[in-house]
Amino acid sequence: MKALKIAATGMSAQQMRVEVIAQNMSNMSTTGYNTRRAEFADLHYEQLARAGAISAQDGTMLPTGVQMGLGVRPSAVSVHLQQGSLSATQSDLDVAIDGKGYLEITLPSGQPAYTRDGSLKRSADGLIVTNDGYPVVPDIVIPADARSITINGDGEVYAYFEANVAAQLLGQFTLASFTNAKGLEAIGSNLFLETEASGPSLVSTPGQDGAGTLRQGYLEDSSVDPVQEITELIEAQRGYELNSKVITAADQMLGATVQVR
Amino acid sequence: MENAGYVTLTRQSGLMKELRVVANNIANQSTTGFRQEGVIFSEYVKGVEGADSLSMAYGNVRHTSPLQGTLNMTGSPFDFAIEGEGYFLIETPAGQRLSRNGAFTPNQNGELVTYDGYRVLDSGAAPIFVPPNADISVASDGTVSTDGRPIGQVGVVLPIDPLKMQREDGVMFISEAGFEPLDTPRMRQGFLEQSNVNALGQIARMIEVQRAYEMGQKFLDSEDERIRNVIRSVTK
Repeated sequence: MKALKIAATGMSAQQMRVEVIAQNMSNMSTTGYNTRRAEFADLHYEQLARAGAISAQDGTMLPTGVQMGLGVRPSAVSVHLQQGSLSATQSDLDVAIDGKGYLEITLPSGQPAYTRDGSLKRSADGLIVTNDGYPVVPDIVIPADARSITINGDGEVYAYFEANVAAQLLGQFTLASFTNAKGLEAIGSNLFLETEASGPSLVSTPGQDGAGTLRQGYLEDSSVDPVQEITELIEAQRGYELNSKVITAADQMLGATVQVR
Repeated sequence: MENAGYVTLTRQSGLMKELRVVANNIANQSTTGFRQEGVIFSEYVKGVEGADSLSMAYGNVRHTSPLQGTLNMTGSPFDFAIEGEGYFLIETPAGQRLSRNGAFTPNQNGELVTYDGYRVLDSGAAPIFVPPNADISVASDGTVSTDGRPIGQVGVVLPIDPLKMQREDGVMFISEAGFEPLDTPRMRQGFLEQSNVNALGQIARMIEVQRAYEMGQKFLDSEDERIRNVIRSVTK
């Protein structure tokens, strides 16, 4: 009775959809979070009668044949890359990326990672780091006596001092972009790793090569749309119920078979 | 001969098959670009020596619903949906395939691919390259452009004989009779076509199948009873 197993693939697909929705909903307020979407594809088909098979001696062909599907499989959980809205924070080290690029940071292992979460801080020795304390590439050190910091759209960081009217250029942020940013591997904490599918990172200066510009004093909101998620959730729940009804029907048909002696 | 039982058996196994098809449709109700299918039963007449011919049920035709699925707005620039007839042309290692699933993404080389990694072909059966960091826009005829400069056209084809299409996993079809380009495709960017499975109709059909199956089992039951009575009265 394959209908049981087919409906079971349907149930686990809908369950996975609910899990992805739960992940999106719980990250509704995560800076720079992009909505995920579960994608499905049908499983392979069993050929019971091939189209074009000869069905009679005079050469009559079966016009369509019989193919029986075996259910559904998840094909991808894709990231829906989308610019989130920017909200003002007034903090001089909050930068939002207006475009497709990523900030590059260095993990404690020395490996590069990428993030769109620009809520930056300064470390004890003045280095610009992320919330988790990982340094941003390239290293930019803010002197302890700097009165204020300005970051312009091109990523140039200027410091103002009490004694000096002119600003001092401390460094310039770079932005990394990818041919296939959907192929990045998410490792949590708003961080991504480069993979073979994403292609190598293309480092560029903000404002050039289309990687985007920086906005000081803003953070990028999560791009989760609650209305869309709730609609999806209803669909997924009802889909789950429909599949469970098929299991019940298949079970009752099996029951009817067993009753015949 | 025990013909009544065999005739019922053909019906019962046909209903089992149909329940599988219904289960597959319902399992794929969230599969982008999936086409609902159904089984059509025909009468299969078998001549019997020295008796009337037997009529049996034979489910041998598969019907694929051509109805348009709902277009769901996703806003992603690499999600395409075809309105009306036509299929995207996909290149797999086993040959060219047709698909209604327009959820694409550029790969590491910038080629437009499906989520299974197969390349999407343009109207000239060549892969489509998307420059990195480019904002692409797709016109309704499938022309892909970036910064006002056309970079290719997503191919939309029509199978020459839709009845000869075989299904393959990954929401794809093999068109054994070949295909031809569609002159006036209508494409929408930022939309995905949902599966065209009519869940309500499928559940209704499932109940029908289940009840018909139970009826068949009842019939087998009483047939069993009848033969038992015959044996009992003959051997008395």
